[in-house]
Amino acid sequence: MTGMSSFLESVLDPYYIQVLILLGIYIIAALGLNLITGVTGMFSFGHAAYFAVGAYGAAILTVKYGVPFSAALITGGVLAALAGVVIGFPALRLTGDYLGIVTLGFGEIIRVIFLNLKITGGAMGLAGIARDTSIAIVYILVLVTIYVMYTLQNSRFGRALVAIREDDIAAESMGINISAYKIKAFAIGCFFAGIAGGLYAHLLQYINPNDFGFAKSFEFLCFVVLGGLGSIPGVILGTAVLTLAPEFLRSLSDYRMLIYGALMMAMMIFRPNGLLGGVDLRRLIFKNKYEKQAGRGTAAGG
Amino acid sequence: MRKKSMILALISLLALSLLFVGCGGEDDSTATTAGSDEVIKIGFLGATTGGHADFGIKTLEGMKMAAEDLNKEGVLGKKVVIVEEDHASKQSEAANVVQKLIHRENVKAIIGDPTTGITKLAAPIAEDNKVVLMSAGAVGPNVVNTEDGQLREYVYRNTLLDAVAAPAVVKFLKEEEGWKKVALITSMNNDYSVGLSKIFKEALQNEGIEIVAEESIQDGDQNFAAQVTSFKSKKPDGIVFTGYYTEGGLFMKEVRKQGLDINMVGGDGLLGSTLWELGGEAVNGSMVYCGFMADPTMAEGKTKDFIDRYSKEHNGELPNMFVAQGYDAVMMIADAMKAAGSDDPTKFKEEIKKLENWQGVSGTITIRDNHEPLKSPVYLLEVVKDEEGQHFKVKAVIPVKG
Repeated sequence: MTGMSSFLESVLDPYYIQVLILLGIYIIAALGLNLITGVTGMFSFGHAAYFAVGAYGAAILTVKYGVPFSAALITGGVLAALAGVVIGFPALRLTGDYLGIVTLGFGEIIRVIFLNLKITGGAMGLAGIARDTSIAIVYILVLVTIYVMYTLQNSRFGRALVAIREDDIAAESMGINISAYKIKAFAIGCFFAGIAGGLYAHLLQYINPNDFGFAKSFEFLCFVVLGGLGSIPGVILGTAVLTLAPEFLRSLSDYRMLIYGALMMAMMIFRPNGLLGGVDLRRLIFKNKYEKQAGRGTAAGG
Repeated sequence: MRKKSMILALISLLALSLLFVGCGGEDDSTATTAGSDEVIKIGFLGATTGGHADFGIKTLEGMKMAAEDLNKEGVLGKKVVIVEEDHASKQSEAANVVQKLIHRENVKAIIGDPTTGITKLAAPIAEDNKVVLMSAGAVGPNVVNTEDGQLREYVYRNTLLDAVAAPAVVKFLKEEEGWKKVALITSMNNDYSVGLSKIFKEALQNEGIEIVAEESIQDGDQNFAAQVTSFKSKKPDGIVFTGYYTEGGLFMKEVRKQGLDINMVGGDGLLGSTLWELGGEAVNGSMVYCGFMADPTMAEGKTKDFIDRYSKEHNGELPNMFVAQGYDAVMMIADAMKAAGSDDPTKFKEEIKKLENWQGVSGTITIRDNHEPLKSPVYLLEVVKDEEGQHFKVKAVIPVKG
């Protein structure tokens, strides 16, 4: 793994490495959110909070307790999943907008807790984190995440989630335990947010609660919505566009956020389902094989 | 089927990264053709958009003025170029900007960030890449050294530190204003405020001023009735308020509403017209200390020239602290380069360490053995109301001795 990293670091300059690592981290977090929002249809406005749980969890373990990076990363993910379950139990009885508002509230609560704890460094932030995140580790984890997400979505579990998204009453009447499935999906999504958070902390080497506010949750949601709810390649594409666009447009300085905003608006007008929402790449590319089914189309977008 | 989709995802990912690298290549060629040998590039790290934009824009103005001055003669026979990048007040973007400045633009030094948080984020990157980082605004702890006290070789700042200013101000308040009892107000969700309260507490204890009440507020609070009521009966001589101007203005309004005739003192977090826009008459007499205040009637020499020139270029507007510090930061780097006879950061950083009683437009700066600046004087300002309306007026210029 280190060999691969040093190879990549010799070809690419550290600026690209930095941006690409950040992109990889965001992809992992966005795929987690995609399972919650895209596949299961639960609106979560608090994804940055689980990202923060992972970031703080992993960073505190490595900085204060000398835990190895890999173990800290996984613990961070598990902590985020636990936070997801704790919040999920009361919150997931709600649906739609109500759930969105509750997750928004819980997200803020988690951020404020970090702001007031001593071990997190409070408002001063947590510094002195080692830069353990390398491009190879991140992209191996991206591949693992993609694999897990595909496997999940195409399993009995994943189809149950889609059923819940499409019609929860019908799903329940088919014998799906809605609450259990929702909480499981929520926990898995949060786990990946936590993993991404741990990587983020060990990339930036300094974390501060203000970085994990509503704006970041909203950013994650944009990645997923812009790319196409429920579509894994879509989410990757959406994340890539929204992470890289501000970097490309950096030379335009003051106009860059304007263009970014216009880009988002244009996307929502011309492709309201997201870039790849409702597009089945397999079907598009292996057309012949699927010709018979082509008329059916997939339902996506929730 | 699953495998195919995996492959597809992989391909799209690879294609994207190639696209990214490809586009970057063009940037690279333009950067290198500019020729890194004839110019000295100094990077600006700060926000020109987002929450901290005001600090960044002012710092950049000062930096550009300094570059203009330097380019009349050049530094080591080269031209100084300021490379500006905006990180929109976001941490993740700031990390990208630092990497870009160092590796794409090949800057010799970076000036910024005006805030402590982002400077702390940039510090390890600058240190690892052996590029000098000079913050013209960070005042919090653990910037020039790591959390475990190890000194950084490439990170410096030229700001008035609260650890230097607060004791001087407290001494002044005790001796000149006769304060014996104070109430200390901290905004708990503000890193600056939490840090400053700690420093004030120590200074107050050292001077033998009693803290009769410690109250906490939050940034964003609107109603401070509970806090004011709780210390009212203890009759403090003054209030030490370590938060920002928004809450400061509203807080003083409540203090006056409850009939207390005492003033507050605070750090440069209170330095903004918002203080009286929200506080109205209640903030008259409130005191703020800072590292620089343009007062054309009192300034002399270099500082006066600087103030005159800035106000001429900006329709009479006076330069603020960030402009002066941004200007000084570039000048300090240039002087260190001249002294070292080289623009190689590994060489001129040694000269930054040796700066002693260096005369800038914002004051006198000495870099101490612990790499922290000792800056003199401290400007203590007071809100006054006269024919020009409410504004800050210099109440005292307190010299600081090492």
